[in-house]
Amino acid sequence: MTRNRLATVFVLLVMTLAVFGLAKSGLPAAAPFAPTPAADQSVADPFTTMMKVLTHQRCVNCHPAGDRPMQGEDSHYHNFGVRRGPDNHGVAALQCLSCHQRENNDYSGVPGAPEWSVAPLSMAWEGLSRVEIAHSMLNSANNGGRSLAEVVKHLTEHELVLWAWNPGVDADGVPREVPPVPKAEYIAAVKAWAAAGAVIPAE
Amino acid sequence: MKAAVGVGVLLGTGYLTRPVWRRSIAGMANTADAPYVGDTKTPPLWFEVTADNEIILRSPKVEMGQGTFTGLAQIAADELEVAIERIKVVHAATASGNIDGFSTGGSTSISSLWMPLRELAATMREMLKNEAAKILGVDVAALSVADGVITAGERTLTYGEVVKEVKEWDIPAVPTLKEVSTYRYVGQPIPRVDLKDKVIGAPIFGMDAALPDMLYGAVVRPTAIGAKYVSADTSRAEGMPGVVKVVKEKDFVGVVATSQVAADNAKKAIDVTWDIPKTWELSDIEAMIQVGQGTPYVIQKEGRAASILEAEEGIITAEYKSPIGAHAQMEPNGAVAHVTADQATVWISTQVVGLTREEVADRLGFDKEQVNIQPTYLGGGFGRRLHTPNAMQAAVMSRAVGKPVKCFFDRKEEFQNDTFRPPTHHVLKAKLAADGLIEAMEHNVSSGDVMFGSPILPGILEPIVGADVGAWRGGMIQYGKIPHYRAVSWRVKLPFATSWWRSLGLLANTFAIESFMDELAIQAGKDPVQFRLDQIQDDLAGRRLQAVIKAAATRANWQDGVLPNGRAMGFAASTDANTPVAQVVEVAIVDNEIKVLKVTCAIDPGLAVNPDQVRAQCEGAIIMGMSAGMFEKMIVRNGELQPTIYGPYQMALMRDAPREIDVEILAGTDAPGAVGEPPLGPIVAAIANAVFRLTGQRLREMPLTLV
Amino acid sequence: MKITFQINGIVQTVDTDENTPLLWVIRDLLDLKGTKFGCGKAACGACTIHVNGEAVRSCSYAAKLAAGQHITTIEGLAAGEELHPVQQAWLEEIVPQCGYCQPGFMMATAALLEKIPNPTDEDIDANIVNVCRCATYYRMRKAIHRAAAIKNVNQ
Repeated sequence: MTRNRLATVFVLLVMTLAVFGLAKSGLPAAAPFAPTPAADQSVADPFTTMMKVLTHQRCVNCHPAGDRPMQGEDSHYHNFGVRRGPDNHGVAALQCLSCHQRENNDYSGVPGAPEWSVAPLSMAWEGLSRVEIAHSMLNSANNGGRSLAEVVKHLTEHELVLWAWNPGVDADGVPREVPPVPKAEYIAAVKAWAAAGAVIPAE
Repeated sequence: MKAAVGVGVLLGTGYLTRPVWRRSIAGMANTADAPYVGDTKTPPLWFEVTADNEIILRSPKVEMGQGTFTGLAQIAADELEVAIERIKVVHAATASGNIDGFSTGGSTSISSLWMPLRELAATMREMLKNEAAKILGVDVAALSVADGVITAGERTLTYGEVVKEVKEWDIPAVPTLKEVSTYRYVGQPIPRVDLKDKVIGAPIFGMDAALPDMLYGAVVRPTAIGAKYVSADTSRAEGMPGVVKVVKEKDFVGVVATSQVAADNAKKAIDVTWDIPKTWELSDIEAMIQVGQGTPYVIQKEGRAASILEAEEGIITAEYKSPIGAHAQMEPNGAVAHVTADQATVWISTQVVGLTREEVADRLGFDKEQVNIQPTYLGGGFGRRLHTPNAMQAAVMSRAVGKPVKCFFDRKEEFQNDTFRPPTHHVLKAKLAADGLIEAMEHNVSSGDVMFGSPILPGILEPIVGADVGAWRGGMIQYGKIPHYRAVSWRVKLPFATSWWRSLGLLANTFAIESFMDELAIQAGKDPVQFRLDQIQDDLAGRRLQAVIKAAATRANWQDGVLPNGRAMGFAASTDANTPVAQVVEVAIVDNEIKVLKVTCAIDPGLAVNPDQVRAQCEGAIIMGMSAGMFEKMIVRNGELQPTIYGPYQMALMRDAPREIDVEILAGTDAPGAVGEPPLGPIVAAIANAVFRLTGQRLREMPLTLV
Repeated sequence: MKITFQINGIVQTVDTDENTPLLWVIRDLLDLKGTKFGCGKAACGACTIHVNGEAVRSCSYAAKLAAGQHITTIEGLAAGEELHPVQQAWLEEIVPQCGYCQPGFMMATAALLEKIPNPTDEDIDANIVNVCRCATYYRMRKAIHRAAAIKNVNQ
């Protein structure tokens, strides 16, 4: 076996064991920061830290389960009937790019980042629990064929993801809420979680 | 003078304010035709003939999409004897002298100018012929006229050639007008005369006005209800890029800069101190708009409705509500002003050209003649521009910098400084007779003001009339065979500006009354169309109303109840400014949402000068009424009117518009009547009535929302 | 900052702050008034133009993004005196009332027809979401179908 393949098998094995471990004991196996039932909020494990961000409503807004993205803190359906379209970039005369550009627009209050679009259906997070989201993220059938390393790179380097910490202002000029975890801490948590085997707890 | 004293005495003794007088005035106001207030005798004020034989028609009425320019061109072309392509309608600047003493609104432009413009055009034609006769040395009777060319035997003169010789016009007596049946243009669906400009994006709107050396102004407008300007700290704004001057007046602060963006950015850096006596919430407003609150005025009374409806039993009652409505017209308010030492010119989208001139002159300390208002095509009026004090602000800023200044509202300012359609509350009561028809009926409506507080009507009207004509418009009961009926208007003064919104009280009042009529018909076990027909009186107004009801029902193949295709029909009818309209809607429920699939509309606007534009006004009014009835709602939160942007202020879009709108035009009189507002009446009630049949839900609040 | 782009077939260079909304560049620096300000928040579509043929709301598009692009405004839809099929259809169906929103709708429609030459009513509903307060939507729908027909004949 090549080294890469060996590594992949190892990771998959660990993940499988972790899943079995979870199913049996309810505790994450081989996790350096195993939470106790009464978890201390100030020392959250990397998974929790990471998922606090990824379950933020404004992330989920663009990972809809249906045809329509959502917007706002209250996740109402995107105004004007904006929809996914054939390739996740809107429809012919109403594409994401009709309004959203590669950076935020402070005059209009329209947010922007490179590759602004709706996440493909395979990456639908709407209605999923944090564990389900995490499983989906690691499933190469869902995540665009990404390896764990590529998932980590996406989560920690892609401008559209990192936009969350620079979300701009709304139509009234009011700054949008940033995720409950500072960016550096989030990035560290993602990497730590992956390094420790990308273990997903039972809930 | 004597008249004024007389009125004063009558007022002083309370004579004019007695209920019977008020009802009489109300009745007159409900059916009166509004006369045109302005020159109707001086053709050269209205028409200018160019050397190229083009006729410029200076319209004192403004064009805001209602098709007035086209109708006026048709009327003028027919009496002037020119091909309509020769007529170019322009907005009359005040400097031209042709000034509307009232306003453009109330669906009165064509109806009030029908006779005057025919006479003016006919007189102008005779003036041109008289001059031609002099030039050609023949008798006027020997002349013939066709398409702007005057012929005497072998010789011809165009109108353009005739005017070259004229130093001063003799204005003859008004000649006999032609028979309407001989008109070439009036009565025909002529394409709008402003079509080309509007499809190529020509710069015709107030927002498009531009002058060399023009600067950009921005005014800080309040966001909170009731906020009064106290003072401003402009220190941060003063040094910002592009800022030319900060302008501080006792009642506002603004900034002038070299670009729109520079002005907007500097405006954000101004800290204004406002005096805000109270932080209002929606619940405060809703508590005020209640039948029983405020001052009641009986606007209609026949028989003993009040006492009959006090009975213990057999009284049917229902309440209805409508919310605060925004104009949301697409072109924001604003103006371009150019003020010099002794002259001011203002380009502005306005419905009150004369009033705007007065206000600017007053503010600048000029005589009226020193101020020229050049009206522009309006990107929507709907009553929003029946007062345009922002012209004063642009003028003041222009004078302050010695250059032309353009100053416009932004969209948030539009939503928070609107002169809203007031919210309403309705209580309807009725008692049915043994035969199922109505024995007694009463409509109580509580509303914020529409007319009162508007500067286009004299303040003296308030104490005389008492009830706000705009608020109770459409609120009278139109079923004259009912033995006992009564309508009462409860007047509430709200803490934010409420005023004219297309069709005024007609939208909400008809929603309430026509929904209630449907409820009564169902209680009585009667077909709602026949129920109405059976209770309409046999006079001209009643016959015209019956005719549109029958026309709409027939054309739509009216059927009560749920149809085999799963849809249901709903019916409603109303009369506004003497124009009756009946509508049948076909509605389906899809994913728990109301879908209006088809609207059949019968309207009797009297003589239809342009049937295509009558149709267009019906189509637009129907969808605008739907928009207000199904989607739109302003609220008050934390002292502010919200929302402040399209989207959150939900309006009808393409996907909501009915795929079929079928309009039938009847002609119950031989003069043009109101068109622009009447079709807004029936639509919301018709939808609510259809929805009841489909869902069993009786929706009594706008915007209509299924549970 | 100097920004150069092609607009309605002509190369233009403007000198403006790089974040100036393209709407103001078009209206105030280039004096093309057909593209309208309705809300400045990308909510109403009155400011719709084409960037490389795609419908874009110019009030929410920074000038710097236009560098090197092909911009088309309503003034550039016609080919000289010959109106675009969308404009022709708008004339035939007598669509405009006040007219303020119409350029934005025509630009959105023109972009739609490039990609979907025969749009269904559902296509129209999904693609054309601009706001018209005069509510001329009924005639607009007819005009869109008519424009598609004119365009197909012209091909």
